[in-house]
Amino acid sequence: MWKEIGDREMGKIRPNSFSSQIKSNRISNLQLSNNKDIVSPHRGSINSLQVDLTEGRYLLSGASDASAAVYDIQRPTNYEGNGLIAKHKCLFSVDKQHGKGHKYAISSAIWYPVDTGLFVTGSYDHYIKVWDTNSTQVVMNFKMPGKVYRTVMSPLATSHMLIAAGTEDVQVRLCDIASGAFAHTLSGHRDGVMAVEWSTSSEWALITGGCDGAIRFWDIRRAGCFLVLDQSQSQLGWRPPVLARSAANKVSVSKSLSAGQNSLGKPRAPQKKYANGHGVKQSTIGRVPAKSSARQRLHPGMLSIQDRATAHYGAVTGLKVTDDGMYLLSAGSDSRIKLWDLESGYNTLVNFEMVRLQTSKAIQLAISQETAQVFVPCMTVVKAFDIWSGKMSLAFHGHYESVNCCWFSSQDQELYTGGNDRQILVWSPCEPITDDMDAGHTKDQDNWSD
Amino acid sequence: MSTWNYVVTAHKPTNVTHSCVGNFSSPQELNLIVAKSTRIEIHLLTSQGLQPMLDVPIYGRIASLELFRPHGEAQDFLFIATERYKFCVLQWDTETSELITRAMGDVSDRIGRPTDNGQIGIIDPDCRLIGLHLYDGLFKVIPFDNKGQLKEAFNIRLEELQVLDIKFLYGCLKPTIVVLYQDNKDARHVKTYEVALKEKDFVEGPWSQNNLDNGADLLIPVPPPLCGVLIVGEETIVYCSANAFKAIPIRPSITKAYGRVDADGSRYLLGDHAGLLHLLVITHEKEKVTGLKIELLGETSIASTISYLDNAVVFIGSSYGDSQVIKLNPQPDAKGSYVEVLDRYVNLGPIVDFCVVDIERQGQGQVVTCSGAYKDGSLRVVRNGIGINEQASVELQGIKGMWSLRSSTDDPFATFLVVSFISETRILAMNLEDELEETEIEGFNSQVQTLFCHDAVYNQFVQVTSNSVRLVSSISRELLNEWNAPSGYSVNVATANATQVLLATGGGHLVYLEIGDGTLTEVKHAQLSMKSHVLTLTHWSNWEGRLFLDLFFFAPLKGPPYLLCALGDGHLLNFQVNMSSGELTDRKKVSLGTQPITLRTFSSKNTTHVFAASDRPTVIYSSNKKLLYSNVNLKEVSHMCPFNSAAFPDSLAIAKEGELTIGTIDDIQKLHIRTIPLGEHARRICHQEQSRTFAICSLKNRSSADESEMHFVRLLDDQTYDFTSTYPLDIYEYGCSILSCSFSDDPNVYYCVGTAYVLPEENEPTKGRILVFIVEDGKLQLITEKETKGAVYSLNAFNGKLLAAINQKIQLYKWMLREDGTREIQSECGHHGHILALYVQTRGDFIVVGDLMKSVSLLIYKHEEGAIEERARDYNANWMSAVEILDDDVYLGAENNFNLLTVRKNSEGATDEERSRLEVVGEYHLGEFVNRFRHGSLVMRFPDSEVGQIPTVIFGTVNGVIGVIASLPHEQYEFLDKLQSNLRKVIKGVGGLSHEQWRSFNNEKRTSEAKYFLDGDLIELFLDLSRGKMEEVSKAVGVSVEEISKKVEELTRLH
Repeated sequence: MWKEIGDREMGKIRPNSFSSQIKSNRISNLQLSNNKDIVSPHRGSINSLQVDLTEGRYLLSGASDASAAVYDIQRPTNYEGNGLIAKHKCLFSVDKQHGKGHKYAISSAIWYPVDTGLFVTGSYDHYIKVWDTNSTQVVMNFKMPGKVYRTVMSPLATSHMLIAAGTEDVQVRLCDIASGAFAHTLSGHRDGVMAVEWSTSSEWALITGGCDGAIRFWDIRRAGCFLVLDQSQSQLGWRPPVLARSAANKVSVSKSLSAGQNSLGKPRAPQKKYANGHGVKQSTIGRVPAKSSARQRLHPGMLSIQDRATAHYGAVTGLKVTDDGMYLLSAGSDSRIKLWDLESGYNTLVNFEMVRLQTSKAIQLAISQETAQVFVPCMTVVKAFDIWSGKMSLAFHGHYESVNCCWFSSQDQELYTGGNDRQILVWSPCEPITDDMDAGHTKDQDNWSD
Repeated sequence: MSTWNYVVTAHKPTNVTHSCVGNFSSPQELNLIVAKSTRIEIHLLTSQGLQPMLDVPIYGRIASLELFRPHGEAQDFLFIATERYKFCVLQWDTETSELITRAMGDVSDRIGRPTDNGQIGIIDPDCRLIGLHLYDGLFKVIPFDNKGQLKEAFNIRLEELQVLDIKFLYGCLKPTIVVLYQDNKDARHVKTYEVALKEKDFVEGPWSQNNLDNGADLLIPVPPPLCGVLIVGEETIVYCSANAFKAIPIRPSITKAYGRVDADGSRYLLGDHAGLLHLLVITHEKEKVTGLKIELLGETSIASTISYLDNAVVFIGSSYGDSQVIKLNPQPDAKGSYVEVLDRYVNLGPIVDFCVVDIERQGQGQVVTCSGAYKDGSLRVVRNGIGINEQASVELQGIKGMWSLRSSTDDPFATFLVVSFISETRILAMNLEDELEETEIEGFNSQVQTLFCHDAVYNQFVQVTSNSVRLVSSISRELLNEWNAPSGYSVNVATANATQVLLATGGGHLVYLEIGDGTLTEVKHAQLSMKSHVLTLTHWSNWEGRLFLDLFFFAPLKGPPYLLCALGDGHLLNFQVNMSSGELTDRKKVSLGTQPITLRTFSSKNTTHVFAASDRPTVIYSSNKKLLYSNVNLKEVSHMCPFNSAAFPDSLAIAKEGELTIGTIDDIQKLHIRTIPLGEHARRICHQEQSRTFAICSLKNRSSADESEMHFVRLLDDQTYDFTSTYPLDIYEYGCSILSCSFSDDPNVYYCVGTAYVLPEENEPTKGRILVFIVEDGKLQLITEKETKGAVYSLNAFNGKLLAAINQKIQLYKWMLREDGTREIQSECGHHGHILALYVQTRGDFIVVGDLMKSVSLLIYKHEEGAIEERARDYNANWMSAVEILDDDVYLGAENNFNLLTVRKNSEGATDEERSRLEVVGEYHLGEFVNRFRHGSLVMRFPDSEVGQIPTVIFGTVNGVIGVIASLPHEQYEFLDKLQSNLRKVIKGVGGLSHEQWRSFNNEKRTSEAKYFLDGDLIELFLDLSRGKMEEVSKAVGVSVEEISKKVEELTRLH
């Protein structure tokens, strides 16, 4: 650490690479925190966790006992164990006792992205409620046609205040906080929608993952979805080599599919695409025509074959867009994790090591952009995978029952996980326990205790 | 309250980050363009060397700088991209000698993560497009149309995530880039892509090369006819093209910079991390490359950029040492080096630490910086103002004037010093023992005050007194001739040169005399009206009764001539003089002091300067076509005259309160920098007044290639800067902090040094030491040491105890006397809860901690409980680089994204939560990485002036900037804030870049307007505006130009 600080001091490394170097270092040392403890008031499984996006200070949790709670993760409420263990009790919680609270399990609890004055909860009781944080009162109610699985708000939005909600119903609804009414319904899925995610590069783009295995992209300003991800559409072949280019234009399109299969399962396919030279026969089916025509073809009557494409066999249970807005990670009840290139919509074919995922419930993934890692709840364990290689880099054992959600705070390099065992666990970079055993110190402890 | 702050640069950035050579100012002229982080300098290559043409600030940190020539243009354009995603294209305007913006724009994107490896900006050699790599996975293209205009930019997906370098290839039909990248197994490869502008996509390029040298970091595109690219690694250099592959091994080194020698691209200069300069030659038969050769040329500063100028002259820009202009000789010198250093440009960067001291105890601070790195490490003593080095002095009261005279016309040195008093004139002369003693010139009238005195032709002197002009032989010293003033009138003022005398008598008579061999002839006699114009007079006073006036004509060698006009109230007017029409333009008024000013010219280093003697003596000089004022470090000077004698060459005779001093003058510049080369890298410095020593923590690289370093604590004498004592640290032990302090119940003053054991296998140090030294007979004596559980990042004296920041913890130690009489430090209490407590400052019982990534927190030491508790903190995620306490409630910090911030303790907060939060008050983008803040001032403080009361903090940065942050009173802040916002409208940034955006606080999460900080560099530009623009601003602000000028001038005295 001192070396890096020295290098930064003399301008040998740029300050931004300094911070990402230190962050990655710390993230690779994540373990169950020995000095930070979140005291969960919930009496049911934790379904949703989020730290506010403005200050990175308040953690919001939603649980199956219809309760939601807020914790200050920066400032402990009290200390235990000689002042070494910081306890974070909840600042407040709302539950069934609250007159206007939810009746059944809260499946999703999120902060209003602009400030911590509001938060939004979605529940199996078919309601989405908007809460005033300071008064802990419900300020708005949206009645949905079925159980609410997931609610999201765009972190980028400056011109709308929409909550996108995935429910039991086939339609995705946009609830407008500004007007208190539904703004849109997005139709296309053939089953309920468990996963919803806003794009991190455009405030108008919404991504939804249904129990029908489809991942759909919507531009909320237009009708209909504009893209359906197809797991068999791999990225291969979208950038032809110069020598083959003239030839490739003449080669028939049909060849590309078979060529595409050749390197299926090769990790990090894009970089090595032409290393072995078999790309010569690739055609230009790829990006250029697809991209330009896709936008025109979106309109309501998308080709039925395209419209029926699936991203997973089974339900899509989790979605997460990388912070740079270039990739999407999806998890499905087929126990697969897939990485998608957002610009082209192709499956990158990164082979994530076999995992077992919960199949019945939506799961909440988290991403650490610095280290290119995704945190995935895999039954009782949370695993971290390298996004580019799909290799597992860390496993977090600590929960006694299945984990439903995780949230990664890049600001503190801490991971919060919540599971069916009603626990919220904090995983932080390991710090050597400085129980200071130097001679003078024992004396001091005496001083403290009186 | 120190919430209203004014930030100003005292020493501009000197770290050379980029340079390029081309025909920028005209098709025939060759220019060197140098980027110094936030400034660019344009130089002209002349036979005499580099001649500066322009030095302008850029509102951004320069990320790339390229010269290019669009189709159909006869000279080059300059492309600049800044780190905050702005770019501009500049052209030289020959008529006004200014920069014109041809294009500008924003290239930021919503999508993508900013690159860690540094932004890349390149231009296609055939000028078809500009390529930018700003975000991982994206390559931005700005195409040119046929007329050389820029078209709309677009992004192309770049699959290589860890890009190390991108360059355009020469001689390709379609624009082609070559990409050097690292895959996720850490192997490095290059590949090429053609940019298909129509499809807005890449097409696989003509070739690629896998598995290169693991240290490959630099691509050099080779121009036609050879084409292809050189890939420079740590152990090999490879030439690669579609049909050739040649490699040579090199001595392990990290190549930092390259410069192309020939237009055909067969020879390159390579500069490595140890400052060695190599010549790389591509041998070829016609267009076929046959091999590579490399030869060591010699040693230079560690290069960050190399520009081959012309005729074997090369500019070496450096980040770690002084930049140089070198000549490559055809034959090696005795040491085998081909390198000859022609010129050096001082670079203070990186300033990793500094201290403010007042060694001469004159009330004026000096800054001693730890500058440079590796072999170019040095200490720099930075002092404001021009110093006079006293050679001799005599006690003399009531001096009214002084002139020096030569004993014969062809004598190069002056012999006599004529000193005039109210009722007598005395003559001092150098005797044979080179001492100044009183003598006599018989022909002079020594019973009256002398008004003027000068050497004249034919070995004569002229003495003007109130009633006569006397011509005296300098050989016989006898009176040769005398001209008497008309009876009833006395001479009021006179001036003369070698052949002419001009004098004015009461009643408005102006008399012009000519000097011959022993004759004085009255040539002209005129009666003046009050309003007549004075053209090329040199000395004129007592005009209009009320005002005491001193007119002065000043024609510097470079730049326009000026007429200076000193007023009796300490103001100075200056006009530009049109030599052909005699017209006076561009009137400016500055205030130099409060007493009448007398002006005198003198020359130093072959340039003429003006000395303005008053209560605040000033030297006026011309630089960069501007008149600059630099204060002289003397209290009050009534008269001055140059006295270039054999014993005191290039000296000045200075009359001040009851004393006549003869001394030499420093180089004429505002800041004086003395370099003490160390040959090793000083990391921490501290001064101890009692022992008159400095102590530094330094490290020395044992040999260039291997990584092993030696760390020392060294003691230096504060006068000679010689090492007097050295304490070597253990292997792997680094010196992290140093402090001079004393402890309660102990009169001695100690040096405390905090260290860390940096073991290669450890991420974070787990062991360190605190060493306590005393200086005895100029030597460091270790008194005691204490092992710690981590790196001691910071040490502070605290209530007679020692406060250390050790990894996550703040630890307080007390000074104990053991039974055997020896001393030890013993831990008393501590405070946990930081990620890394890197920077600590204390005031009373308060402790302010700057954390690695958790902004600033405030702790308090409770005496009763003997414990340290957290009082409040800032919950933002700022990665700090320095902190300082401005006053009891306001704390200053600098952070990783080049921002400054102030936070305020909120003791009156209504709730606990409010009180526990440090409220962010000020935010400002400095654009510099601050390593250290220190209280202090670079200038002498005059208690009478308003400015004297303003508390200031000095900061030092990686780019070698020394800056001042002054905490202003509220009304002054409000006034300047208004002035600043109006100046923004009048002073346009180079390349159309916005000042407001540049100074806005910016980090990964957000950008917000600067608040509670003012940019002094912009505000002080007011004084350089033309009269018309000044009036425009003054109208908008609603305050007169004079009033604004006065206030801004006051501020310029802060630095």
